[in-house]
Amino acid sequence: MTVVLPLVLVSLSVPLVLGVGRWRPAWAGLVGVGGAAVSLAAFARGVAEGPARLDVPWIPTWNARLTLALDGLSVLYGGLVLGVGLLVLLYARVYMPHYLEEQKRPRDEEPRLHAWILVFMAAMLVLVMARDALLLVVALDVTTVASYFLIGYDRERVASRSAALLALVVTGSTSVVLLVGVVLLGVTYGTFDLERLVDLATRVGPGPRLGWALGCVAVGALGKSAQVPFHFWLPRAMAAPTPVSAYLHSAAMVAAGVFVLQRFFPLLALEPRVLQALAGVGLVSMVMGSVFSLGSRRLKRVLAYSTIAQYGYVLVMVGLSGDGAPFYVLAHGLCKAALFLTVGAVTEATGKDSLTDLGGLGRSQPWLAATSGVAAAGLAGLPLTVGFFKDELFFHALAAHGPFWAGAGLLGAALTLGYTGRLWVRLFLGEPRGVGPRASAGLVLPIGVLAGLTLVGGVWLAPLSRLATAAGGQMRGHAVEVSLGYHLDTRVENLLALGAWTLGGLLVLTRRRWEEGLVPVLHTAGNWGAERLYGAVLSRADAVSDALRNLEVRDLRDRVAAVLIPAGLLGLLALGLAPTSGPLFIPGEVGWDDLPLLMGLAIAAGAAVAALGARNHLHLVMLLSCVGFSLAAVFSFAAAPDVAFTAVLVETTFTLLFVALLSRLPRESRVRAQTEAQRPRGRDWLYAAVAGGSAMAMTWNALSHLSEERVMTRHIALSQSAHARSVVSAILADFRGLDTVVETSVVVVVLLGVMHLLSGERAE
Amino acid sequence: MNNAFIQSVSRMLLPPAFVVAVAVWLKGYAEAGDSFGAGVLAALAILLQYVASGRDAARQLPGVRYAPQVAGVGLLLLLGVTFVPLVFGHAPLSHVPGPGEKVLHLGVVEVYTAVLFDVGISLVVMGFVVTAIDGLLSQRSKTAPPGGGMASPGKER
Repeated sequence: MTVVLPLVLVSLSVPLVLGVGRWRPAWAGLVGVGGAAVSLAAFARGVAEGPARLDVPWIPTWNARLTLALDGLSVLYGGLVLGVGLLVLLYARVYMPHYLEEQKRPRDEEPRLHAWILVFMAAMLVLVMARDALLLVVALDVTTVASYFLIGYDRERVASRSAALLALVVTGSTSVVLLVGVVLLGVTYGTFDLERLVDLATRVGPGPRLGWALGCVAVGALGKSAQVPFHFWLPRAMAAPTPVSAYLHSAAMVAAGVFVLQRFFPLLALEPRVLQALAGVGLVSMVMGSVFSLGSRRLKRVLAYSTIAQYGYVLVMVGLSGDGAPFYVLAHGLCKAALFLTVGAVTEATGKDSLTDLGGLGRSQPWLAATSGVAAAGLAGLPLTVGFFKDELFFHALAAHGPFWAGAGLLGAALTLGYTGRLWVRLFLGEPRGVGPRASAGLVLPIGVLAGLTLVGGVWLAPLSRLATAAGGQMRGHAVEVSLGYHLDTRVENLLALGAWTLGGLLVLTRRRWEEGLVPVLHTAGNWGAERLYGAVLSRADAVSDALRNLEVRDLRDRVAAVLIPAGLLGLLALGLAPTSGPLFIPGEVGWDDLPLLMGLAIAAGAAVAALGARNHLHLVMLLSCVGFSLAAVFSFAAAPDVAFTAVLVETTFTLLFVALLSRLPRESRVRAQTEAQRPRGRDWLYAAVAGGSAMAMTWNALSHLSEERVMTRHIALSQSAHARSVVSAILADFRGLDTVVETSVVVVVLLGVMHLLSGERAE
Repeated sequence: MNNAFIQSVSRMLLPPAFVVAVAVWLKGYAEAGDSFGAGVLAALAILLQYVASGRDAARQLPGVRYAPQVAGVGLLLLLGVTFVPLVFGHAPLSHVPGPGEKVLHLGVVEVYTAVLFDVGISLVVMGFVVTAIDGLLSQRSKTAPPGGGMASPGKER
């Protein structure tokens, strides 16, 4: 119960927010904050009570279970997700009314944002607590769907919609790859339980299948964490309102990717090549993100590229087996969320969102400057903030792998200080530009809380060490010691930190010299990245699908052929490839007893041939129903009264349906179709031969290999005990009952479609 | 086609047709016939009214007006029989009484939940057929002169 209680509370507050929001839109935000706060309290109580676990069967045939557990990793990430989420909701409650008012949108659009943030929060909670790989994938996909609606919150704006779609396509398609990896793992080891997977894989040892599966998992994580080459969705996703960016793109959605890697780490450790690749990708993302962040002018873009870079650091740490990777995500999430909220507040107060229009806001926004200064110091890794330790752990992991990685770490940390410092200094110091009214206290308060946490984390080290140790141990799969502390000596971490501060400080001080040159270079570079490739692939695929469609819809006969020809060829292919015992076709014997059957078939064939010469559509319908009725007669001769009865009924219904349909068609199009049909073309004969020949070959083949021991014999034996003497009824309602349910549901869905289609036409 | 005799006969045929449909459904437990056939038969009996007396007269029948709802009720019945056993911890679509257990006999019919399931199938099929054909005809009779009955496309020549 302790495990699911926070989850239940978050999930329950979603309908509550929507319900209250419909009644009083202004109260929805408060309800959302309340829901998040209560569930954070429940989560804290659960953590205080110690490890807990929930284990319920889910899909027994696949050995998948609903397993949720509170362990080191889920405590750290769950706290981050709920805590930052609560603060973001608090912020959104003040931010959104202004935001909507500025755009002259009605207030009742507000609850939608709170509700989706809560949905996202619930999905993240499931994700971090899931101990079953399939459940994890499901939760990840729910976060993707929720992020689509959050990024595309401003439905009217094209930029928001396309950004949301881009994020959905990139993170969704990579998470399909992740699913492939997980299913491969499940198939290989026969379980989706992560602990058992690790156990079995360790015992069996690495193999090609494990390598492929983990590669797929890594791709999914890279897409979600916006790492090269899937990074380009993140800067575009900045079209979302600030609370969404602050939540999704600092502490939640992008964190989900590296979380998956940390969850799978004991498996990844068996495949060093995957880990090396991850470290490489992390390094590239780190450099690329940092440089772009240095050269960006739009406030949120600076932060978006910085997020790409920062998750690159985490990837490097995971790749080099650093125990501090989970802690890094926590520290980064706190500071980055605060900075996102800060730029949102700045834009809200001044109406500007670019560094070129802003500057020297320190005097007009003292509280904002102070709180965001702490957060920026935290992100840059200055001492007395929680960020110092994230950098210390980062250096610790890198220094252990030789001078190359130590140098890379030094460069990365210097760049971090560079872009963070540039952002803060340009915003709050120097000549005042674009000054607006003071940001309201409701906006500064959540930033203050985050800044306070950043400071507290920099001095009160014992609980943080415990948290980091538990999470690191859970990630590595064995107990580790992650100790945080200040050491005043010349250990390599301290030297690297000092070097990074010096370099980063220089970068900030000399910013006027390089800024002008960097921006145009990056602008050109931005046109040649993965985003261009993505666009090219998308437009090519679009063109191919258009071409195929144009080929198909040229006329009705081609459209029919487009279905029949591939189906016929597939059938022939299956016939050629499927292993069969004995000859493919066995000619049966024809005796006098078969005379009625042959007569029925002759009538059916005659009607079919006559259909070729039908003078109008009504004749055609009648002739086709003749075919159906004579086939029904054939069935009744072949001792299948059930089939014959059903065939008669269906044939009657279809005739009526056809006639009703014909009455709707405009006369001109009927006449046109008729004249077209009177001019058969050469390729029509070919189409008919392939489709008909394939159908006949398959039927003949199936009838040549009737075996005595069929499923029917078992059904007949079972139908007595199933209370039905007629085996057909027993099959429909009992043996294959679930099939019946699904088919019937499809029928009802089709019915709804038909009704909608017809009513829409009437409305025109 | 607008023959008073045909109209009254078709109207009189309606109750017996439904009886036959029920018979087909119940007979299905012992021999040929099933709930699908019963549903189609009932729908055809209603559609006969379209052919005989035209759409406007046929629409007076409650079976036509509420056909979509009938399909909905049928689906609910099906889903109910399928998923209610889950609540009691059985596999979906476990019939009560179970295989081999004692059941109440009404003639040849053994009363168990599959009977309810079959009623659901009949209702869905009947609702579907009637709604689809009624929908297809609906616009036509608005533009066509009233009393034309079923449109005959053969007139195009």
